[in-house]
Parts: sequence; structure tokens; C-alpha cells
Amino acid sequence: MRVTLQEALDQLEAAIHEEGELVLRALRGALGALEHQDVELADEVIAFDDEVDDTYLAIEEEIQSLLARQTPVAVDLRTVLAILHVNLHLERMADYCVTVAKLTKLVEGAPADQTLMEAFDEMGSRAEEMIRVALDSFAERNVERAESLVELDELIDRANRRAVEQVIAISGDEERREWGLRMIIVSRCLERIGDHAVDIGEQTAFLVTGEFREFTDASH
Amino acid sequence: MSATSPNVDLQGGRTRGVWRGRIFYASLLLSLAVGFITLGTLVVQVVTKGIALVDLVLLTNPPSANPEAAGARPAILATLYLGILLIAFTVPIGVGTAIYLEEYANRNRWYNRLLELNIQNLAAVPSIVYGILGLAFLVRGIGLGRILLAGALILTLLVLPTVIIAAREAIRAVPGSIRDGAYALGATKWQVTWRQVLPSAIPGIATGSILAVSRAIGETAPLILIGALTYISFNPTIGGPFTALPVQIYNWTKLPNPEFKDLAAAAIIVLLAMVLLLNAAAIWLRNHYQKKW
Amino acid sequence: MVTMANAETELVRMRGVDQLDLAEREGRMPPPESRDVVFDVTDLNVRYGSLPALKDVSIRVYKNFVTAFIGPSGCGKSTFIRCFNRMNDLIPIAVVEGSVRYHGEDLYGPRVDPVEVRKRIGMVFQKPNPFPKSIYDNVAFGPRVLGMTDGLDERVEKALGQAALWDEVKDRLKDSALSLSGGQQQRLCIARCLAVEPDVLLMDEPASALDPIATTRIEDLMHDLKQNYTIVIVTHNMQQAARIADMTAFFSVEISDEGKNRTGILVEYDTTPKIFTQPSDKRTEDYVTGRFG
Repeated sequence: MRVTLQEALDQLEAAIHEEGELVLRALRGALGALEHQDVELADEVIAFDDEVDDTYLAIEEEIQSLLARQTPVAVDLRTVLAILHVNLHLERMADYCVTVAKLTKLVEGAPADQTLMEAFDEMGSRAEEMIRVALDSFAERNVERAESLVELDELIDRANRRAVEQVIAISGDEERREWGLRMIIVSRCLERIGDHAVDIGEQTAFLVTGEFREFTDASH
Repeated sequence: MSATSPNVDLQGGRTRGVWRGRIFYASLLLSLAVGFITLGTLVVQVVTKGIALVDLVLLTNPPSANPEAAGARPAILATLYLGILLIAFTVPIGVGTAIYLEEYANRNRWYNRLLELNIQNLAAVPSIVYGILGLAFLVRGIGLGRILLAGALILTLLVLPTVIIAAREAIRAVPGSIRDGAYALGATKWQVTWRQVLPSAIPGIATGSILAVSRAIGETAPLILIGALTYISFNPTIGGPFTALPVQIYNWTKLPNPEFKDLAAAAIIVLLAMVLLLNAAAIWLRNHYQKKW
Repeated sequence: MVTMANAETELVRMRGVDQLDLAEREGRMPPPESRDVVFDVTDLNVRYGSLPALKDVSIRVYKNFVTAFIGPSGCGKSTFIRCFNRMNDLIPIAVVEGSVRYHGEDLYGPRVDPVEVRKRIGMVFQKPNPFPKSIYDNVAFGPRVLGMTDGLDERVEKALGQAALWDEVKDRLKDSALSLSGGQQQRLCIARCLAVEPDVLLMDEPASALDPIATTRIEDLMHDLKQNYTIVIVTHNMQQAARIADMTAFFSVEISDEGKNRTGILVEYDTTPKIFTQPSDKRTEDYVTGRFG
């Protein structure tokens, strides 16, 4: 029944997951460029963002068309609204990857702090894991798994605070001060990627329960 | 601002309307009673008079001067033949005309409107006029003579307008959506008429035709006029002289001997039975086709 | 060394739907301009006697598309769709002026046989109109009148299958078509059309007399049928057009002569997403947003 609606919804979800794959690739690339101070790779990451933006726009258009034509209700409507928000969060994540790549380019040649680089490595892995969990739990409509993102986000947040402390610690060294300041922004970008993943988890909960709620309060 | 509660006095009591209704109902019953009582009286009178004489003698003997031995065989046979010929003539002509008028004729043409007007009028013409017509044009005019065939033809003319009207009603009753559906599939006008319209209209046509025929076999005046003989003892043939049951009845009632009047009553019962049989056939046909679909 | 090119990620498989190639997704439907044209209408004017019904309509209907005509009542959409299979011929006072080309051939050419036209261009009506015959005979009617009598059983089964009705009626083909529900009857009418292997299916408000479940089934059916047929549908339910049509044409009424003349005109014709997300004409927008008509 309602073959066209179901097909359209299936295609939208497939597109979202494809966008998720693109974001993961962008993240990998940005992290790799950061770790190896690879400016060429960073350029590639920046150029790659166009692909993500194209997908983002295509999904936006599809959603507009679907809402106008199919007038979905109940779970179908929540699915479309959830996809609308997830689309936005994914695009923002990709933008943060671009920011990281740009910062990598900016600090080319500067001496790196090993502790921070290790921290970023960990934060990067955590962020990647969160994106996967977020998308998988969305596909599975698994609210419990989506809620587990809160704990993962907690880890990134702690790592972010440690990174800031580390930068404060090395700020005495003039040569590494600028590098440190830039790296705070990188850390912030990774932390924000984690937040967006949690937001995706909240959309999963909304889709399933019909209720929109923040997983944690602002004091966190 | 408060909402007033609705008036919940449900006892009613509008007496004027009620009495009008009751008077109306009573007058309906009265009309029904008049009809039934009159008819009932007639039937009872005839049946009590003649039922004793409805026997094999009546059915198989030719008429004779002796009431004991008199029968109405030639008349019964002739009425039967007339009925069959009537159906054979009126149905094709009547249905054909109806199809032409309903499906093919352009209503704006003057000759079609004239045709319609004539058919309406002819249905109301008294039967004796048809008798005169038959005498002038069929018996004498083209020289057919006073034969069964002429009688059948005259009765055909008498009954044709009714059959045409009944067939038209039946054809009109076929919904336009059926025609549209058939046309849309690529059927020609002929195919639509023959395969959809007519089959759907058959119950109505059959009912109308049989009712018209059952009225016609009771017609006396035109047959007398064209010379249905008063006394034949041989079995009638289509090309030969004839008499019919109504005529036979009429003649028996004219005879002085009261026993013949009883015989006439008996013959009336036979005629009534034939008419009832035909009507029953019409009802059966209608129900059979309606039940199917 | 990690590069963009080899940053492999695991494929996500969700619910059996493969990842779609972005290019394929964007090119899901080739633009209308590159499609085959089935009907090419130029400057079509239709009037009933002296009353104009449609004015200066020009439109192209594309192959294997569902094309919907929407608009307020009285805007001539039904009149227009009936031009495609020459059903307006059955209305004596209807006059069709202008050009309607079917695969390049003039539908109203002097030597064109309407029966041939309707063989290729079938029509389903608003109120289901099954013939008062068996289910089998309904579907077989078209082939029979068109002389396609070989392999009749297979034809009937195939048509009923295409209309998603076979499973429900395969054990009772001899039953009366009138014993089916409304939705089933309409699918039967669709099967009836499909049995003569048309090229185009015209549907004049096919679901307006049906309940929502039956309506959804008809809509799903159209989605399947358009793989093999070109479908044109008139609907007063614009949400239905939004759901199922690839192209949508919005008709409206033009009032002239101080309100005495109401004529139908084509206001806008475009892909359905465009009509319902960003119509070019304000009248279209007023109509689809429900602010008018």
C-alpha cells in the first residue's frame, strides 16, 4: 500500500546513510591530515565538502517534494522530520571537518605537542564511533543505543577539557603558543561533532516515541 | 448568556395532521375495495355458473346445436394460433422500431418526431377502429379474405403501439454508463445495441410484449368485424376461415337456450385461464432475469 | 597514508535497500523534454452548441507518465479527457476544433475510425460501470467485439492479473460482476480496458466513488501500470494528483461577458513536484494551497 510513499521514504533514508558515509570519510581525512600534518590531504578534505553539500541539498529538495506530494502523517511524518534534522547535523559535522582541515593547513610546519596529538587521536576515534552509533541506532530505530551516545559524548567532553588544560600548560612556550590556540579550536570542532551525533540520537528517540527531549540538560 | 435547554415535551398531539392522514389512508383502502369487490363478484359469478361445464367435451368438441355435445375446440385453437402469430409479428417489428427510435433516430428530425407522435396516438385508438381498418384494407383491399392471418395482422396493429412503448421503456432503462463503457472499449453502435442494450432490456421487452398479447387475445370487436365466423366445426388454419374464443363466447351468450349461457361462462373460464397463464409466464420471465443479475 | 580516496568505510545496509548512487538518484526521471510524446494538443477549443467549454488548450502528454488534470468543477477537464478517445463524438452538439495528434497522427482526421481510436485508448469512468454479466464476460467483452478471440482465457487472466484482481476472483469468474465491491468493480473495469491491450489509459476520476483503502489500491495500481501504459487521469482531489502524477496540468475557469460565459482554460502544466512546491502562476498556487476553488 502507498508504494510511492514507501519508496520515497526508503530512498531518503538511503541517502542519509550515504551522506553519513561521506561525513565519515571527511572525518578520517581531516584526522589523517592533522596527524601527519599533510596539507595536500587537507586540501582534498576541503574540496570534498562540496560533495557533502550537494547531497545535503538534494536531500532537502527531496524532503520538500515528499511533504508536498505525499502529505505523510504519524510515523511517516516523524521520519521525514527526523531525516530533515539528521541531514542538517551531518552537514554541520562535515563543516567542522573542513574547519579542522583548514586549521591543519594554517599550522603547517609548526612543532606539534605529542600529548595533544594523542588526545586528538582518541577524540577522533570517539567521534567516528559516535557517528556510526548514531546512524546505526537511527537505522535500527534503537532508542537505547541512541541514548548510549551520551556516555560516549561525556568521554569526548573530558578529552576536550584535558586538551584545553594541556594547551594552557604549553602556552608558556612562545613557539608553540599559536599552534596551541589553533588546536583548541580543533578540539572544539571534534567536541561539537560529538554533540551533533547526540542530536542525531535525539532524533531517533523522537521518531520512535513521538516526543522530543534533550538527552541531557544544559548544565552538562 | 445561557443556553436554553431544548423543549423535551415529546407527547406531540397535532391532531389536524393525524386525521388527514387517516382519512387519506381510508380512501385508499376504499378504492382498493371497490376494485377488488367488483372484480371478485364478476369472477365468482362466472366461475359458479360455468365451472361444472369445464370438461373435456368443452375442450375437444366442435360447437353444435346440442349444448350437451357442444365444445369450443376450433375457437380455442384459433385463439392459440392468433396468440402465437401475434408474438411472432409484434416482437420483431415492435422491438426493431423501439431500437430505431431510441438508439438511431435523430430527435431533431421532423419525421422522427411525427413517428413518435403517431405511436402515442395509435395506442389510444379504440379496437373497433382497427377492425374497420382491417376490413377495408386487408380483407377487402388487398384481398386477403376473412382468414386467420388477417385477424392476426389486425391484432398486431392493435397491439404494436403498446409493445413499442414497452420496448422503448425497457431500452431506456438500460443505464447510459453501460453504453459508455461499451463504446469506450471500441464497440460499434450495432455491437453496443446487440450485445449490451438488448440483452439488458429483454426482461422488460418480454414482459411488455406478453402483457400486450394477453390483452389482445381477449379482443372481440375487430374480429367480429372482419368476419370471424359464428359457426365453424373444423379446425382453423392460418389461411382459412376462423373463429376465436371471445367471439365464440359472444355468440353463445346470444343464443336463447340458457344452457348455452352456462357454456359461455365455462368458455370464459378457459379464456381467463389462458390469460392468467400468459401473465404468469411474463412474471416468471421478469423474475428469472432479474434474479440473475 | 590515509587519503580521501582510500578512506574506506563500511557499507551501511539498512532494511534491504542498497546505497544509491547519487547520480542515479538525481537522474531518477529523465526530464519530460527528452521523453516520447503520446498526445500533442494544439489550440484545442471545444463547445457544446454555442456554449464554449474549453479555450485554446495546448499540451503534450508524455509516454509512460501519469499525467493529471486538476482544477475546480466546471473547468472542462472531463470534456478535455474525452477528446482523447473521441467519446465527445457521442454527444451530438459537441464540437471539437483544433489539433489532437496521437503519436503524430491527427485523431480527428477525415478517415480516422473512432473504433480504432478507442481500441488503443481505453477509458475508465468515475462510477464503476461493470456490465450486468459475469466477471469473465465483462473482461472478455472488449476482445470479443474487436475480434481478438484467440486465447481468450489467457487474455482474461492476464488482464485481471494486471489489474491486481486475479487472486480475488480466479475461483468465481462465472459470478455476476455486480456481486463485487465498489473497489473491485473499478479494478474490473480497469481489467476490461487492459484486455484489449491499449496504449493509453484515460481515467475520469476513477477513485472518487471509492473508500480510502480502495482508493489507495487503485493509486498503487496506477504506479505499476505506468511501466507499460501511458495514463491520463482527471481528478478533483489534488492530493491524489500530488501523490501519483508525474506531470500535472491545472485548469481553471475564465469568466467573461459579465459572468455569462464560463470557459475552461489551461493555466499551468509542469512536473508535479514543481506544481506543488513552486508553481509559476498565482492562480495555481491559490488553488493548490486551498485558498481558491
